[in-house]
Amino acid sequence: MADIKTTDAAHAAWLKDMEAASRAKQEKFMNGIAARLGHPRTREKPAHSFRGAPDFWRTFEWSLEERVIRFSDNWKSVGGHVVRLSNMDEVRAFIADKGRELGARLVVRQNQPELAALGLEAALPEARVSVWNSDPSEHWKARAAEADIGVVMADYAAAYTGSVTVLSGKGKGRSVSLLPTVLLIVVPVERLATRLGEVLANFDRAGREQLPAGIHFISGPSRSSDIENDLTIGVHGPGVVYALLVG
Amino acid sequence: MKVSLFITCLGDAIYPRVGEAMVRVLAQYGVALDFPRVQTCCGQPAFNSGYWKEARTSALTILDAFEDSDFVISPSGSCTGMIHHYPKLFEDDPAQRERALKLQAKSYEFTQFLVNVLGVTDVGATFPHKVTYHPSCHGSRLLGIKDEPMALMERVKGLEFVPLPFAEDCCGFGGTFAVKMADISGAMVTEKADHVKETEAEVLVGLDMACLMNIAGNLRYRNEPVRVMHLAELLAEGANLG
Amino acid sequence: MSATGTAHVSVKERAELALNDEFLRKAVKFTTERLRNGKKNASADHGNWEEWRERGRQIRLHTIANLDYYLNLFVDNARANGVHVHFAETGEEAVRISLEIAERKSAKSVVKSKSMVSEELHLNRALEKIGVEAIETDLGEYIIQLAGEMPSHIVIPAIHKNRYQIADLLSEVAGERLEADTTVLAGFVRKKLREKFLEADIGMTGCNFAIAETGSMVLFENEGNARMVTTLPKTQITLMGMERIIPSFEDLEVMATLLPRSATGQKLTMYMSGISGPRRADDADGPDEMHLIIVDNGRSLQLGDPEFQELLNCIRCGACLNACPVYRHIGGHAYGSTYSGPIGAVLTPALNENVAEWDDIANASSLCGACYEACPVKIPLHEMLIYLRRRKVEAGHGHKLEAAGMKGFALLMANASRLKAILALGKVGQKLVVRKGEIRTKLGPLKGWNSYRVTPSLPRASFRDRWATLDQEIRHGLQELNPEMKRRMEQAVKRREQGGGAGHGGH
Repeated sequence: MADIKTTDAAHAAWLKDMEAASRAKQEKFMNGIAARLGHPRTREKPAHSFRGAPDFWRTFEWSLEERVIRFSDNWKSVGGHVVRLSNMDEVRAFIADKGRELGARLVVRQNQPELAALGLEAALPEARVSVWNSDPSEHWKARAAEADIGVVMADYAAAYTGSVTVLSGKGKGRSVSLLPTVLLIVVPVERLATRLGEVLANFDRAGREQLPAGIHFISGPSRSSDIENDLTIGVHGPGVVYALLVG
Repeated sequence: MKVSLFITCLGDAIYPRVGEAMVRVLAQYGVALDFPRVQTCCGQPAFNSGYWKEARTSALTILDAFEDSDFVISPSGSCTGMIHHYPKLFEDDPAQRERALKLQAKSYEFTQFLVNVLGVTDVGATFPHKVTYHPSCHGSRLLGIKDEPMALMERVKGLEFVPLPFAEDCCGFGGTFAVKMADISGAMVTEKADHVKETEAEVLVGLDMACLMNIAGNLRYRNEPVRVMHLAELLAEGANLG
Repeated sequence: MSATGTAHVSVKERAELALNDEFLRKAVKFTTERLRNGKKNASADHGNWEEWRERGRQIRLHTIANLDYYLNLFVDNARANGVHVHFAETGEEAVRISLEIAERKSAKSVVKSKSMVSEELHLNRALEKIGVEAIETDLGEYIIQLAGEMPSHIVIPAIHKNRYQIADLLSEVAGERLEADTTVLAGFVRKKLREKFLEADIGMTGCNFAIAETGSMVLFENEGNARMVTTLPKTQITLMGMERIIPSFEDLEVMATLLPRSATGQKLTMYMSGISGPRRADDADGPDEMHLIIVDNGRSLQLGDPEFQELLNCIRCGACLNACPVYRHIGGHAYGSTYSGPIGAVLTPALNENVAEWDDIANASSLCGACYEACPVKIPLHEMLIYLRRRKVEAGHGHKLEAAGMKGFALLMANASRLKAILALGKVGQKLVVRKGEIRTKLGPLKGWNSYRVTPSLPRASFRDRWATLDQEIRHGLQELNPEMKRRMEQAVKRREQGGGAGHGGH
């Protein structure tokens, strides 16, 4: 099969054929479902009176301090580390110390203004700090894979489950929060909600067109209990994960 | 008020002492049970094995037996639970289904009737023994009988209650399952009896003689001296109603 | 149908093997016990569990009842996101489409994250056949792939293996002796699979939920391998059961509340990812091309079937396996198919529509209802097992001896006087085997029962024999009905008449 060389054009043509076949099949498939369900095809959005969490849950909210405490407890309970910092200067100092302490040689960070303003290149003179997707000729997945530390900004966070949300984008690689050995996530506390549902509601509100390709909730270090139910940390993703709560 | 006894086939043939204990406990409060003789079996063995036609034949005797009863009381959560399946069993027969729904609404397991209807929790019994309790699956899961037996045992003087580890796990009886899957059932009842032994209780009580026959059978097989009885028996004996 | 297994051997025979494997029983017991307690604690800790369960059930019921609308909406949105959507009515068709994509992409290797649908299709075997290396990357799945086995648990595939067996398997891959230490073994797999992720041509995933309104696929995982598989290779193929749909991200909050707590007792898995199409033009990672194969393979047979439609509500958490006392004793492989435990016992015959072939799985249950109680979306599996048994009997596939026995049962139970007569006969008959009030013989029909128990003998008089005497004694000197109790009884009757019917029990 290795001898089948498909040119881009041939491949595009094949995809087009497949799509035509798929669209034809879609009608048949949906009609079949409706027939089995014993009703004509539902074309209008059906009334859904049980959408989302129960009502009592929607009004549940913690104060900011409570959110910080609960988030930290949850994060630590699964083996993550939490540091509370008051401003971005402290974040810079913390990352610099951590980098030195771990002897980090390669650091990759997202291309985000908050992180650019940290000036990590100057703060970590012994390490090479690369900025995700800043040079289109670079092999970025490989850069992230060899990095000792990845630095990302959290887009959202939820205290109740102890989760941070990161969205993908041009300057925001999925690999940066996944491939390095150590992950540092900067979480401005004003982005910390109480419930997971508060974060999820953003995506319903935004609608399909506005969604990034990847939305990732991270709740601590990678783990597995697949061998004798014995917990192992850092199976595929980062094993050391810091949440830096700022503000 | 016509309060009828649904004795169940096991209660009739093998454990008449349980029905007798129920009769005596309820008589204390002026409740005289009626016993319609046309009743046979609830039909569960056939129903659970997939033989619904046969189950209906048997179930009809129960529908007939309790047609004009106000309350139907049984010493088994499982057999009462079977009555809850009657509307489904007769789903294609509107007339019988109607009767089934009526019967379901007036059927109670013994402790449900005693505690929830009559409001009795203290029968005035004394039973100075170490006792553990197995909550049978159908009674506890299908009928939701959880607090009733506890409330009754709490008020028995001298009774030392020891919780059964993994109490909610099935004893492995499951009707024809015990015969068809004898080895799996055997492993389950052995585990259950191990837990009973762990409690060092002198007495094991429950609300279903099928499960108790199963566990007692395994305990006897291993020559374990634990006494196994229905809660109605314990209450009757403790209140000197024998 | 592709959800094949080892139906030619009976559950009873496979269970016997398992029951004699002391290690397997201990391992399964230990892990299911931990998961079961984890779930109990997590649901109690979260609170209002019954309300959440009911909410989850309602969302699933609503979506499946309108599946033609929601699936169609999902497909349109996924396509708008740039996903190539394919429909597979059968397992074979899903395999054929997957292979065609692999061939078109000249793929040498495929890295896979956990997918029960892929297990259902036996896709790895098919890929290997055309020379494509298929690598399972979930730690547990990787282990059983090396062992050449099927998963024995939906969530913990290698639940039946100990670390010594795992060390043997991995040492063979490593070409050196690895210590039987979990950290060492997991560390080796991390390194080994890291290379595989980076060089693979295709990443393949399952799909926990699909969000209709945005065309997003949602994956729950703890290891990060599903993220690897959806981030690194240039092509992604996602296999999705046609019933995985939920309407919105809001609904996902309910599923995210139920699934991890029910599966492992976690508040949320370490990673939950929502993937909405291939990488955007400016993105530097994520797949260039994304295929989604929507698989029926027997699922649509449940639609419109009032007894089995709810089966499609399953969110594959494995809580019913962990709660099941039968599963605990025999493990997953005894069920002989991809899906094991109570859900497998119902799903396998239902998907395959060959009740006769798989019927004995439905017998491997004491109908204790622990599965229903554990299910986060309240699927009445214990009742479905009875419906399966009934369908088998109605289709004429009943066991001959049992059918004859049940006819006898009906004859006997149709009439109380016949029952009385047979009991009288039994009392005479049992004299041959009763010793000190017990029956211990292992001959005849009591063999299975008496291998673990003794049987009580029939008492001298049955209840109905004693009734006349007892009734006379009780009525003599019976006090008047306690007025308070009389009032309570009248109230109960009134409540019942007002339609509060079975309020005293029943689910």
